[in-house]
Amino acid sequence: MTRLLLLIIGAVLVNNFVLTRFLGICPFLGVSRRTETALGMGMAVIFVMTVASVVTWIIQRAVLTPFGVEYLQTVTFILVIASLVQLVEMVIQKTSPVLYRALGIYLPLITTNCAVLGVAVLNVQKGFTFVETAIFGFGASLGFTLALVLFSGLRERIDLADVPRVFQGTAIALITAGLLSLAFMGFTGLVK
Amino acid sequence: MKVRYLFGGGIHPSEQKISQDAPIEEMEVPERVVVPLSQHIGAPCEATVSPGDRVKKGDRVGQATGFVSVNVHAPISGVVKSIGLFPHPLGRPLPAVEIESDGEDTWTDRLKPHEDYMDLSPEELKEIIRDMGIVGMGGAAFPTHVKLSPPKEKTIDTFIINGAECEPYLTADHRLMLEEAESIIAGARIAMRSLGVDRGIIAIESNKPDAIEKMRGLTEDIPELEVVALRVRYPQGAEKQLIKTLLNREVPFSGGLPMDVGVIVQNVGTLSAIYKAIRFGLPLIERITTVTGSGVHTPKNLRARIGTPIEVLIEACGGFSTEVGKVIIGGPMMGVSQYSLEVPVVKGTSGILVQPLSEVEEGVDHPCIRCGSCIRACPALLMPTILAVFAQRDMFKEAERYDVVDCIECGCCDYVCPARIPLVQLLRYAKAEVLARRKKAA
Amino acid sequence: MWIAIFCLSGLGLLASLGLGLAAKRFAVEVDPKIEAVEGVLPGINCGACGYPGCSHFARALVKEGAPVGGCIAGGEDTALALSELMGVKAVIGEKRVAVVLCKGGREESTTKFTYRGVEDCKAAIIVSGGDKACPYGCLGLRTCERVCPFDAVVISEGGIAIIDPEKCTGCGICIKECPKEIIRLVPVGKRVSILCYSNEKGSEVRKKCAVGCIACETCVRVCPFDAISMEGNLAVLDHERCQVCGLCIPRCPTRAIEGRDEPFPQVEIIEERCTGCGICTMVCPVDAIEGEKEEVHTVSEERCVGCLLCIDRCPEEAIRIRGPAHSALESVVR
Repeated sequence: MTRLLLLIIGAVLVNNFVLTRFLGICPFLGVSRRTETALGMGMAVIFVMTVASVVTWIIQRAVLTPFGVEYLQTVTFILVIASLVQLVEMVIQKTSPVLYRALGIYLPLITTNCAVLGVAVLNVQKGFTFVETAIFGFGASLGFTLALVLFSGLRERIDLADVPRVFQGTAIALITAGLLSLAFMGFTGLVK
Repeated sequence: MKVRYLFGGGIHPSEQKISQDAPIEEMEVPERVVVPLSQHIGAPCEATVSPGDRVKKGDRVGQATGFVSVNVHAPISGVVKSIGLFPHPLGRPLPAVEIESDGEDTWTDRLKPHEDYMDLSPEELKEIIRDMGIVGMGGAAFPTHVKLSPPKEKTIDTFIINGAECEPYLTADHRLMLEEAESIIAGARIAMRSLGVDRGIIAIESNKPDAIEKMRGLTEDIPELEVVALRVRYPQGAEKQLIKTLLNREVPFSGGLPMDVGVIVQNVGTLSAIYKAIRFGLPLIERITTVTGSGVHTPKNLRARIGTPIEVLIEACGGFSTEVGKVIIGGPMMGVSQYSLEVPVVKGTSGILVQPLSEVEEGVDHPCIRCGSCIRACPALLMPTILAVFAQRDMFKEAERYDVVDCIECGCCDYVCPARIPLVQLLRYAKAEVLARRKKAA
Repeated sequence: MWIAIFCLSGLGLLASLGLGLAAKRFAVEVDPKIEAVEGVLPGINCGACGYPGCSHFARALVKEGAPVGGCIAGGEDTALALSELMGVKAVIGEKRVAVVLCKGGREESTTKFTYRGVEDCKAAIIVSGGDKACPYGCLGLRTCERVCPFDAVVISEGGIAIIDPEKCTGCGICIKECPKEIIRLVPVGKRVSILCYSNEKGSEVRKKCAVGCIACETCVRVCPFDAISMEGNLAVLDHERCQVCGLCIPRCPTRAIEGRDEPFPQVEIIEERCTGCGICTMVCPVDAIEGEKEEVHTVSEERCVGCLLCIDRCPEEAIRIRGPAHSALESVVR
C-alpha cells in the first residue's frame, strides 16, 4: 500500500513528467492558454495514459515477450496509443464540441506525446506489476494535468500583465515554465 | 469606550486640518445665487417658479418628484432672474433657478415652527424633513427622509451620528460640533425617535479632542447617546467602515446597505439641519463649507447660502494666494475638480480646496509593478490592481465577478500606488459600465 | 518474422474493429461546407454581420440561408468567394465607410481644463464629459483607434480621429465604441460630410471651435439638390440626395464641410450635339454657360464649379466632363 502511495507521489510531484522529466512539452505549451481547455486536455490525457499503460503492459506480457518479438515494442505501443486517442477524439467531439474545437490539433497530437509513450516504456523497463503499472500510469497523467493546470493559471495572469514586447508570447511562457520547473525541484528527495 | 475593531485597509494621509481653529464665519448675503434643481441623489426637482417671480428666503422654488427626491428653496429674497442650464459641481450644465437679491434678505412668512416637536409622530417628522429639503450633508446628498424610512422588515437597533470627518483639510463638521453641538444632539434625538431606536453612538475621530469633550459633556445625562473616539484613519467616516469599527458588523457585499445590519448613519450637519427644520421650520438653505488649502490666503469655515458661486467664497477668504492648480469641491480624496468658478455651493458642498500649481503633480503613469499596496489599502477589501486591468481591457464580466460594484471610490488605492496609475478613474469607469449593463439586462 | 507480422496484423485488426464500432457509436455529423465557408471569412469576429462571430455566420449561411453579402467587413471579395462556394448569385450593396463628425483639433478648438487621466475616451467622459469645451467634439484619446480591427483609424497631430476610407470596411465597431456617438457610415462614393455634430447656437460654437457648424444655413441654400437641411442648430446632409458636386464645401464660412479630394471637374459642351435650347444656361447655378438661342453654347472655364447639373438636364446629352474621367461622379449623375 505504501509502495503504491509513494509511486503516485513520485510520479506527480517528485518526478513530474512535464516539469522534471521534460516530456510532453508540446501540449504543455500549446493548450495551457486557458484553464478550461487545460483541464479538458488533462482529462483526455489521464484516460489515454492510464488505459495505454494497462493495455501496453498486457500486450508486452501476453504477446511480445512470449512470442519473442520485443523489438516490435515501439510500433505496437504507438498503435495502441493512436487507437485510444482516436477513441477519445470521437467521444469528445460528440459530447463537447466546444472543447473539441478549443483543443484543436492538440487532441490528435496526444498520439505523439512522448509522455504517453514514455510512461508505457518506463512501466516495462521498471518491471512493474499490473497494479503498479496502472497506478504509475494514472499518477503520471495526474502529474501532467497538475502541471498543465498550474501553468494555465499562471499564463492567464501573465496575459493580464504588461509584458515587455521582447518577452511577449512564447518567450515569457518558457521562462515561466522554467521557473515552475525550478519550483518543483523543491520536491527532490521527498521520496527515495 | 475602547475601540477594539478597525476596518481593514485604509490609509493615513496628512490631516492638514489648517482651518480647524477658524470659527464659523457668517457670509454677506450674496448678490446672486444659482440654485440647482438637482442637489441630491434621486430625481431632480421641477421648478415651481418662473422668471420675474418675487421670492422670499425659504420659499420653495423646486418641487420634489417621486419618493427619492426633496424640495429646494430660495436661499435669499429677491427676484427669479431665469431658469436654465447653469454650471454644476458635477461637471456639466444642469437646470437651476437663478435669483437676484433684493438686498433685504427677508424670511418667508410660511415657516412652520414646532415648539413641542417631540410630540410629533415619526410620520409627521419625516414629512417635515422631506418638505424642508434635508439631504445627507456629508457629501453624498441622499434624501434624509428616505434613509429614515427603512422597509418594515429591516429592524434598526443602532443609530450612528457621524462626526468622523476623515477627509484631510475639511473641518466644517468639527466646527459645527464645537459651536452648535446642542442642535446636533437635538437632531439626533429627533431622528432616533422617527426610527424608534433607543441607542445612538456619536463617532468622532480622535484628532478632534475638543469636540469629543464637548459632546461627551452634553450627553452625560442622556443614556441613549454615547460618544466614541475613533482612531484616525481614512476612510473611517464612510458608512460601512464606521459600522465595522463601532459594531464589528459587515454590511453585505454587492449592494448591501447599513440597514441590512440594523444600523442607520447620519452626518452631524444633517442632524443639525433636521433640528432647525423641525423646531424652527427652516428649510435647508445654507451650510458650513470649509474653504481651505495653501492656494487661498486665509482658510475659513464659512456659513454659506446654497447657490453662492464658489468664487464668492474664495474671495471671502482673501482670494487666491498663488498660481492656482486645482479647485476641488469636497476633499482631496473624493472631491471633484472644477473647471469653472461660477459653480454654486450645493447642499453637499462640505469644502472647497484650492491647490496651488506647485502641489499638483504631473500625470505620468507607469506600468503596474504588482506591489500590492492598493490591495492592502482598499477598505472595501477589493483588488484594485486586477480591477484596473479589467477596466483597461473592457473585461466587464470579470470586473463584476471581482466585485467592482462595491468600490466606494474613496481614493485609497490611487493614493498609495507607486506607479501613479489613475485607479479611481479606471474603477469608476468599470463600475459605471457594469451597473449600466445590469440595468439593461433587468 | 512471420510471428512478428502475425502479431502486428492481429493487433491492428483488433484495434480497427474496436475503432469501427466506436465510430458508429459516437458518430457526429459535420457539414464540410460550414468549414469551407469559415475558411473564406476574415475570421475577425467583428459582429458587423449581426452574428456573434464568423463561425456563427458560417453556420447561418449554410443552414439558414443568410445572404452571401452578409459579411460587411469582408466586402466585395468575400461576397464573391462565398457566392461561388454556395453557388448563389451575389447581391453586393454599396460599400460604406465610417466618418468622424468633427474636425476641431487642438489648434481650432478650446478646452475647459487640462486632462490628466487615462488615455481613453470612454474613461475621459466621466471626468466632466472630457476636456473639450464643445460637448460634441472628438476627444482624440484613441478609443476608436484601438478597437479598429483594420487599423483604419489614425489620430491626427491635432488630436482628432481620422478614418482612412481605403482601409475602412464599414464593420461599425468604432461607431459602437465612440462615447460621443459622432461616427457615421457614409457611402464610399459619397464622402462629402459636414464634420460637426454640435447643436449649440452659432455664437456658442464660435467661442469653442473655429471649424464648427454655426447654422448660418449657407450650405442649405447653396445645395442644388436640396441635400442639406437644418436640424436645430446643425446642418445635416442627406447622402441619398447628395450628388457630391462639392458646391457647399467652399461656401461654408467655417470650412466645416469636407469630402471631395479630387479637384473639381469641369464640363464642356459637345458642339455637334448642342441644339442651343438653353436649358443648361437656366440650370447652371453659377452662370457659367453662355450662348445664343439655337446656337452652340459654351462653358466658361473660370466659372464652372463642376456641379454637373447641366449634364443631368441636357436633353441631347451634349455635355460631358472635361479631362480625366471621374468615375464615381459619372455613374452617379447618369
